[in-house]
Parts: sequence; structure tokens; C-alpha cells
Amino acid sequence: MNESILEVEEVTKLFGGLAALDDVSFSVEAGEIKAVIGPNGAGKTTLFNVLTGVYRPNSGRVILKGKNIIGSRPDQITAMGMIRTFQTVELFEGMTVLENTMVGCHSRSKYGFLSNSLRIPRAMREERRIFEEAMQILTDVGIETRASDEGMNLAYGQQRMLEFARALASQPEILLLDEPAAGLNPYETGELSNLISKLRDRGLTIIIVEHDMGLVMGISNDIVVLDYGEVIARGTPDVIKNDPKVIEAYLGIGTE
Amino acid sequence: MARRKGIVETHSYRTFLIVAAFIFILPIWARPIPGEALHMDIVNLMVLTGIYACAVLGLNLLLGYAGQISLGHAAFFGIGAYTTAILCTRFTWFPTWLGVILGASLAGAIGWLVGKPVLRLKGNYLAMATLGLGEIAFILFSQLKGLTGGTVGMLNIPPLSIFGLKFDTDIKFYYLVWAIVLVIMLLTINLVLSRVGRGLRALHSSEVAADAMGVNTGSYRVKVFVWSAVLAGLGGALFAHFQLYINPESFTFALSILFVTMVVVGGMGDIWGGLVGVVALTFLPSIIQVFPEWIPGIPESLTNFSNYALVLYGLLLIIFMIFLPKGLSYGMERGVAAGRRSAKLLLDRIRAHD
Ligand SMILES: Nc1ncnc2c1ncn2[C@@H]1O[C@H](COP(=O)(O)OP(=O)(O)OP(=O)(O)O)[C@@H](O)[C@H]1O
Ligand SMILES: [Mg+2]
Repeated sequence: MNESILEVEEVTKLFGGLAALDDVSFSVEAGEIKAVIGPNGAGKTTLFNVLTGVYRPNSGRVILKGKNIIGSRPDQITAMGMIRTFQTVELFEGMTVLENTMVGCHSRSKYGFLSNSLRIPRAMREERRIFEEAMQILTDVGIETRASDEGMNLAYGQQRMLEFARALASQPEILLLDEPAAGLNPYETGELSNLISKLRDRGLTIIIVEHDMGLVMGISNDIVVLDYGEVIARGTPDVIKNDPKVIEAYLGIGTE
Repeated sequence: MARRKGIVETHSYRTFLIVAAFIFILPIWARPIPGEALHMDIVNLMVLTGIYACAVLGLNLLLGYAGQISLGHAAFFGIGAYTTAILCTRFTWFPTWLGVILGASLAGAIGWLVGKPVLRLKGNYLAMATLGLGEIAFILFSQLKGLTGGTVGMLNIPPLSIFGLKFDTDIKFYYLVWAIVLVIMLLTINLVLSRVGRGLRALHSSEVAADAMGVNTGSYRVKVFVWSAVLAGLGGALFAHFQLYINPESFTFALSILFVTMVVVGGMGDIWGGLVGVVALTFLPSIIQVFPEWIPGIPESLTNFSNYALVLYGLLLIIFMIFLPKGLSYGMERGVAAGRRSAKLLLDRIRAHD
């Protein structure tokens, strides 16, 4: 592994008196799969919300490719190459699988209200490009046959895949996955695991929040463990498996 | 392009051609028939319909696509009307078409001033802000007597003329207004079928997900709102040059609610449906007004539509929100589809008997 693509430095996020993130620091190397684990309520989703600009932390910095992104809007962070999926599926209602995926291309297309109202040729070319790229991604994740169905009508596992596809459509450098295996059956989890490894091999950096320890231990290069908003351990899967603090944190709450 | 996408596009544009053809021939057979029970001047009402359609098309984008409600679009309509009326009556040399453009632009500028700070906040503060704007505008129209003529209003507004062509009859104005509406319609269809349309629908469905996918939701909302203000201003300016007089009573809260009702009755986010809503509600008063002639003994108060317009709009809003949230045209489509299905069943039965 070489240079770090993302640095989280001393990030603290308070909700009232509660520190959802308490002085969290870690760095992510380009091309690695980093897992963030921890019991329910540990602050994992809050971390993603801070990284993607949904929440502004009370203190600390997030350095993405050398630039502090605290205060940037979510769409700006997406345009910089970091995009997330959601713990609870957040598909766009009333839109087809294809249209959902095409929204993912938003950050890499530019024509606005006027050009599109007037259907200027360049905007039309862009539209065709968006369409072709979205179709390609649907093929990659294996749901291209459902392209014209409404996204919300897919089976749950396929909805997860669609969220995945929609995020990939932005051609990110860093992909944040919030419990992508939640609710998937073992077969689907296997497929997901293959897909994630394939993306890593293509050079994508992935940060994954996941409760499925089999998946986490199988694919991640490095793990950060959060408990009550604090980093209690970090290291390779083998180190984490045997860390007494980690075992205690999980036993104290009950394993997933 | 994708099969499905192809179908959607050609469907929208084909509908456009059918509607355009219909609008073109309507005045030819819609001449008032003497002695008919319904004393409706269809061409005259259709001009008003077209004028309202300008405002409603924009509001439909705002409400149906961006999911933001405005309760003060009458203000923009009024700003458009008063701007051109003041310019063209003060300075008799002032080109009327320029007055219309300036009216629409000023409405857009004020929309930007109001929308920019409010639309950055999460939640629907726009409803409150526009409600206030509507009231303030109404008070200004009535009180700035030197400028607006106060409650009496402004008389002798010159008819619209474009490059020497004077639009001084209903039929001429009809074709002008509907040409404008059709152009707006075309622009709107183009827009909603594009990435911008997808971005708007996305932010309506899930703002946090739209943000995360790279849609600048704040800016999109401001732009849609400003565009809707421009279109309302345009409608208002045309209104002034059609009526040739205006007074504050034409730009009350009831008009703002009428616009919203038109969108809801037609179908939020349904461009063609919106048009159905405008036609239905513009013709409604004239249709209701003939009831007293047919039903003897109806109370006098019911013969004046404006007495109970707001109550009626409110009722329609509630009924449609509960029973037909997708609007009249969607409901009709479903009705036709159901009718076809049962007709087919019946035919199959009959055939089976043979
Ligand atoms: N918007 C919010 N307002 C107040 N408190 C919040 C908010 N979001 C999260 N919290 C609190 O912050 C803490 C961390 O929540 P978070 O959702 O980040 O946990 P998590 O690790 O993702 O848990 P899970 O595994 O259940 O998804 C929890 O105690 C939660 O109640
Ligand atoms: Mg979570």
C-alpha cells in the first residue's frame, strides 16, 4: 500500500451531550478495503455522514486527496470522487432502475436547466453518454434485465445491488458502503463479496461498515473498531479477531 | 437509446403534437352558438386558460418535481401584470412586448430574492415565505396609489403588439397565448426528460440520497422556483394586455390557491395533467354559473362564484389529495384502462357464447 487517499483527523461529533464520534482518527490507503465495525450505535453511520458532508463535525478535519473537505456540500464531495450507499435503502421513488442509476452520473455531467430545455446537441450527447454508462453498470452488477422496472419494485437484494450500481455510476475513487449485506441471503452476500473484491482489483478504495463478520474478515485489508464513538482498536483482521477489547465490546452488547 | 426511454420520449412529443393540433383547430368549431344553454365564450375562456397555464406549468415543476409549495404565486402574476401596465401606460411609446419581458424578469428577480435564503433551509419554509410575499404584494398593489392606481387599478393598458402586429381581438390573442404555452410546454418536456428532471425527481423522493448522488439540491430548488416565478410573471403580463385593465382584486390569495389547486387537480409532476387541471378550473365558474338558470330556487349567494371560490378550491384540494393524489388525468387514464378491460372481458364472454 502506498499514499493515503483519505485522512480522518481527530473528528468529534456531538449530538446534544452525546459524543457520537469522539476524537476519531484513521487513514485510508488508496486501493485498500477498510472495514469500520462496532456495536449498534457505535457511530459508524455518523462517521459516514461526516465524511460525506451531511453533518459538520464539532471539531477535526477530513482530508480527501489532500484537501480538507469539512464544510463542503455532499454533492461537492461526490464530485471529488467519494460516494456512499445507505444503511436503509434510499432509492428514488417513482423512478426506474435505469433512471436511478442515471442519477448516479450526475456529478460527471454538467448541462443544466437552459441547455436541456433547449435540447442543445451537446446536452443530448451527454444524455446519451449517461444512458450508455448507466446501462453498462447495470450489466456489471447483473440487474440490466430490470432496467425499465421501477426501482422500488425490485426484490430487496436487487434493491441493494441497485444502490450499489447508482453509487458506481459516479465512477468514484472511494466507495463508502453502509452495511451492504444487511438483509441479504448467504448466496447474495457471496455475490456482493465477489463484486467488492473485483472493484478493489480495479483500483477502487472501499470503506465498508458491516456487521457480517465473515464478510468483513474475508475481504478487508484493515479494520477500525468503534465503540461509543471512540476508536478502540485497529489492525488487520487477524489482529482484530483476537483483540480482548473488541471481544469485550461485542460481548457486552451481544454479537450480531 | 433505450426502448423504454424511446417510448416515453415519443409518447410525450406525440401528445404534444396532438394537443397542438387540437388547439389550432379549436376556435374554428368553438364559435358560440346562439340560443345555447351554456353561454360560454370558449375562445375567451381558452385565452384565460392559456394565461393561467403559463403560471401553472412552472408551479407544477416546483410542486410536482421539486416538492416545494408556493402559496403566493399570485404575487409574481401581479408583478408581471403591474410592471408592463405601469411601463406601457406611463410611456405610451414603450414597446408592449418589452413590458411583458421585463414583467416576467422582475417577477423572476423577486423570486430569487425571496427563494434564495429560504430554499437553502431544510423543510418547507417556502410556503410561509410565499404566503407573506402574496399578502405584501397585494397590499402594495392597493396602497401605492401613485404607481398602481390603488384599488381602482389601471385602465387603458394598450393591447400587445409585436413588430407592428396588434393582438387586439380574442382570436388573435388566443393564438399568441397558446403559441407561447406550447413553447413553454416543449421546454418543460425537454427539461423533465433530462438529467435535470431526474435530479428534481430525485430530490423530491429523497433529498439526502439526491445530495449524496451529486445533485446540488439547494441550487436546483432555487432555479426551479425562479423559473416558476418568471412563468407566473409572464402569465400576469399577458393577462394585463388581454384584459386591458387590472386591479388588485385579480391578484389575491384566492388566485395563489387556484394555481395550486390546478396543479393538484391536474396531477402533481404530470405536465399534461397540469394542463387538464387548468382547463377544468378555468371553465368551472362559467359552468357553475349556469346552474341557477336550470335549477329554480337556488340561493342568490351561490350565483356569485367568487363568494365561495376559496371554499371550493379547499374542498377540491382535500378530495384530490385523499382520493386522486395523482390527479384527474391519471384518474381518467385509469378509468379508460379499466373500461377497456371490462369491455374486453365482456367481448370474450360473448364470443365464448357463440
Ligand atoms: N441525527 C441524530 N441526532 C441525534 N442523535 C443521533 C443522530 N444520529 C445518530 N445519533 C446517535 O449517535 C449514535 C451513533 O449512531 P450511528 O447511527 O452512527 O450508529 P451506528 O454505529 O451506525 O449503529 P448501527 O449499527 O445501529 O447502524 C447513536 O447513539 C445514535 O442514537
Ligand atoms: Mg449505522
